[in-house]
Amino acid sequence: PRPGIGPLTPGSNLIFAQSGRIEHIPLEGNRMKREEARTLLHVPGKVVIAVAFDCMEQTVYWSDITQPAISRAKMEGGQTSVLVSRDLGSPEGIAIDHVSRNMYWTDSILDRIEVSRLDGSHRRILFEDDLINPRPIIADPANGLLYWADWNRDGPKIERSSLDGTRKVECIDPFSHVRRKLSEAVHYPFAIASHGRNLYYTDWIREAVVAVDRHDGTELQEFLPQRRSRTYGITITYPQCPAEVNYCSRN
Amino acid sequence: NALTGSPGDCSPCPCPDHTTCVQVPETGDVVCTNCPKGVRCELCEDGFYGNPLGWGGTVQACVRCECNGNVDFNAVGVCDHMTGHCLKCLGHTTGDHCEKCRSGYYGNALANELNPERKCKPCACNIAGTSGSLNDCHPDTGNCDCLNHVTGRDCGQCEAGYFNLQPGVGCEMCNCNPIGSVS
Repeated sequence: PRPGIGPLTPGSNLIFAQSGRIEHIPLEGNRMKREEARTLLHVPGKVVIAVAFDCMEQTVYWSDITQPAISRAKMEGGQTSVLVSRDLGSPEGIAIDHVSRNMYWTDSILDRIEVSRLDGSHRRILFEDDLINPRPIIADPANGLLYWADWNRDGPKIERSSLDGTRKVECIDPFSHVRRKLSEAVHYPFAIASHGRNLYYTDWIREAVVAVDRHDGTELQEFLPQRRSRTYGITITYPQCPAEVNYCSRN
Repeated sequence: NALTGSPGDCSPCPCPDHTTCVQVPETGDVVCTNCPKGVRCELCEDGFYGNPLGWGGTVQACVRCECNGNVDFNAVGVCDHMTGHCLKCLGHTTGDHCEKCRSGYYGNALANELNPERKCKPCACNIAGTSGSLNDCHPDTGNCDCLNHVTGRDCGQCEAGYFNLQPGVGCEMCNCNPIGSVS
């Protein structure tokens, strides 16, 4: 059966992966409208890990690790298409640069970070050294930056580079004291997304999506999906792209 | 669909233990909504294996994959959801259940040891005393293939009564005069 996409509530939504499906929770301001949560996309027989969103074309991107692939589907409905399926080990993070129209992903079996156009063409390896368990990745087109984290047991790290892969630096040393602890009450966070005043994260032990205040770490809301199983990647969808440009969009 | 008015309108849910299901309006897919915790209905949840709907074979409930503690609990996709074969063995272990040491390593992959790196150690055979490959040793004992009259796990020493370990040759007999020697 072909996986289909359900209609989405206008406005901002949280979307998160839960094995064979991608769920969405409408947001009203920063509040999760839990009673309106619905399945956005069924992908039976797959384990979906990463989700990402392209605000320009209102398209959802996701990764499957059972038959490793990166796919996408328009939020308004219609066909899903597989973008990358060759030379993939374990794609666990996807980032979209909606300005330059590129996508980035981490692979924790091949231990690398790759980039391609949004349709999967012009694929190129960006980094393949010093990566052990890379997972989350995020693009910041306004500042031309790419951030990712590696949970390598012997040296977890968060790194940053330019969107073209130059100027790579380790940006947060996990053992430094420049960090601030926001909340101690987390159980097993898997993925995190930021929106307005809040942070939203998926948790493996609670099998839930949790909303916390970004400034004081107070837990505000919890969403328990109808089906109890692990929750994976999470991201925010917006009806319109934030107004921003960078040198690639003008070139 | 109970609204079409035919006798086959309602079919039983194809879910384990007669749990509930829904039909996705857009696609007609039937999705189980009340799976037991830790178990998916269409496919076993990550970290579990089985064949809950009996696709292409017999129905098999989802059970946790057994990788002998040699996979990281933080990893995803550690095992095949149909066969249960482990896919991300750590610490130089290998096998369907990460139950043995990889070629070039020796030890006990099933040892009760928290650090998987300590279970399987590299063969590291001595370059001078080994007759075969430096990365080829007995999987349990770690014994390398030694040249004539060479001994030690890694073939690093001469046998008693022999000396002068030469690469590719082995050790020479001491040839001590039995009259003037104490051993």
